[in-house]
Amino acid sequence: MTVREPAWKVTARELEATTEEERGEGERVASYLVSPFGARMNRVLVAGMLTPAEPVGRDEPPTFWRARLTDPTAAVVVTAGTFQPRAAAQLRSATAPRPALVVGKLHLYRGRDGAPQVSVRAEVARSVSEIEERSALAEVGRQSLDRLDLLERLERLPATSDEELRTAGFPAVWIRAARAALQRYPQADRAAFRSGLKSLVRRVAGDLGPPAVRPGVPPSVTVTPVPPAPVAAPPPSQEGRADEAAFLDLVDELSDGSVDGYADLRELLQRIAARGVGAGRAEAALDRLEEGGTIEEPIVGKLRRA
Amino acid sequence: MSTPEPAAPPIELRLRDLTPAGVPVEVVARIVTLERREVARRADGVRRPLLSGLLSDGTATVRFSWWDPPREGIERGEIVRAVGAEVREFRGRPELVFSWKTRVGPAGEAELPRIAPESLPLRAVRDLRQPVEGFRLEARVVRTAPRAVSVGEEQRIVHEGLLADHSGTIAFTSWSDFGLKAGEAVRITGAYVRLFRGRPQFVLDERATVVRIEAGGLPEPAQVLRAPPRLLGELDSEASAEAVAVEGTVVHLLPPSGLVYRCPTCRRVVAGGICRVHGEVTGVADLRARFVIDDGTGTVTVATDRAATERLWNVTLEEARRRLRDRPDPSLLEESLAEALVGRRLRARGSVVRDEWGLHLTPESIEAAEVDLDTAAEELARRLPGAPR
Repeated sequence: MTVREPAWKVTARELEATTEEERGEGERVASYLVSPFGARMNRVLVAGMLTPAEPVGRDEPPTFWRARLTDPTAAVVVTAGTFQPRAAAQLRSATAPRPALVVGKLHLYRGRDGAPQVSVRAEVARSVSEIEERSALAEVGRQSLDRLDLLERLERLPATSDEELRTAGFPAVWIRAARAALQRYPQADRAAFRSGLKSLVRRVAGDLGPPAVRPGVPPSVTVTPVPPAPVAAPPPSQEGRADEAAFLDLVDELSDGSVDGYADLRELLQRIAARGVGAGRAEAALDRLEEGGTIEEPIVGKLRRA
Repeated sequence: MSTPEPAAPPIELRLRDLTPAGVPVEVVARIVTLERREVARRADGVRRPLLSGLLSDGTATVRFSWWDPPREGIERGEIVRAVGAEVREFRGRPELVFSWKTRVGPAGEAELPRIAPESLPLRAVRDLRQPVEGFRLEARVVRTAPRAVSVGEEQRIVHEGLLADHSGTIAFTSWSDFGLKAGEAVRITGAYVRLFRGRPQFVLDERATVVRIEAGGLPEPAQVLRAPPRLLGELDSEASAEAVAVEGTVVHLLPPSGLVYRCPTCRRVVAGGICRVHGEVTGVADLRARFVIDDGTGTVTVATDRAATERLWNVTLEEARRRLRDRPDPSLLEESLAEALVGRRLRARGSVVRDEWGLHLTPESIEAAEVDLDTAAEELARRLPGAPR
């Protein structure tokens, strides 16, 4: 059974936040990217301002093009090669940024530093009127919010059955995606994502002009995402120091009590939360300890003293 | 030799109550279909005539086999009384066998089991997904129209349309004229459901009874025909649906679309002048488009006829043929159609069926879907933090 994968209506921000991949097993099985905001996507539809395409690589004539689509929330790289002739022609036809609709398959690229970057391999890259672009964004916004509502409901009542959710009108694919998102991103800041949709709504209403477009990515053979420059962090406060100390105590306690000698990250975060340390502060303390080389995470989700 | 069993009088049963209990039964039923053949007996190779087919008494339909039947005089539609028939089970369903021990004779309409409508179970449209009979339905006639069909040599008028209750909508075909009118609320007994090209179809014939009733709670035709679009991801859990609207973006145009040539006999698209069924033919030019609509939760394949394609493309068949004469490259035409369709937001309404390739919609109407941006923005803003409650 080969049913076409739907194009999830998502914002560039949702793609930017996506780091998790679900590989299909066997031959000719689709792979999916799971977002923190309830999408499990093989194909997407995005709308925004699309820059003119630039050729990638040294082939002459070029065989691969890259452009950038900016919506009111963020930007995403859009590519097309000779295997997507229609999309490639559409990408190349523009000489100035213009409103566009892009449908395509997702690619997750991990740089040498492991930083994930999602791009869209376009199948369709159609220039549209501003009205059409805003209409598409309205749909993107509506479905993004519907999926967030579903996530919140599942977070509140994890025991809700698929049957109940389907009766409430949520499609089965959304329910599956929501469960995957909750499992893979237990710490995601969904409230911030919801607030971030304000700019999209202003664009739909026409209060906000088309998003400012950054210049396209310069041509090069490989995509090399630049690792974030090390920011000189201000020295932690007294409260921060206390968090770190509490963290280290817990790491020791948990790893002593565990079979494999590691402290489980999720358990750690639960315990630290029980001591009244919020998720944001806990993350910050953990980051400092990891950057300072005090603790390490050799296995995802498992911590130990370095 | 076994001792003869004490002759228990056969029990008269309705077909829905048959069980393979080993006791001979008596039934009165109408022959719905029949077929004659000869079957070689395994023991001695003697060929024996066999008449088989379907019997119905309004409560159920069962297969029957009649060994050594009369040579003639048994017709479709006839009512028979069979005394001493044997009930066997075949693939989990009971069927009847008439042997030399069975007495089969003609019976009258009045001898058929009288079924009080209230004794039949009331079914909701949603539950009529598989072939079934012997039930009662209370529904609204959403629409109906006569159509001429040829059955063999004969021309007949069938009345086709839609029935709906609160649970769903089903297509009906009526072989008798019950004078059904759109908007009427009816109670129907004696009808049956069959599957036709993957869609359940509600069939009324001369055995059905239609009674007009109070509409209590049944949806109005307009409610059914103007229902808001449904999510494809939700429709995907159903095998088929009638008169549903879907709305989404055209994401792909499937070949062959645009200018096609059809077999003059069967209207199939011919490739290279060869029809799959009728061999070498001279194709007749036509316009069509087959494309995928995607609403973010699922996809559906839609095929449009010439009129709808001309409207969506804004190119007529004559214009397409003229363009092909000017630039004899058919792919240019397809490209032009793709340019006109792909990326557009459309709303389509019609019947949907699902097969192993996904959902397919046969459109009754298809139009550009426009979004009211002000309303959309307001609705979205209300769902964001800091919105006035």
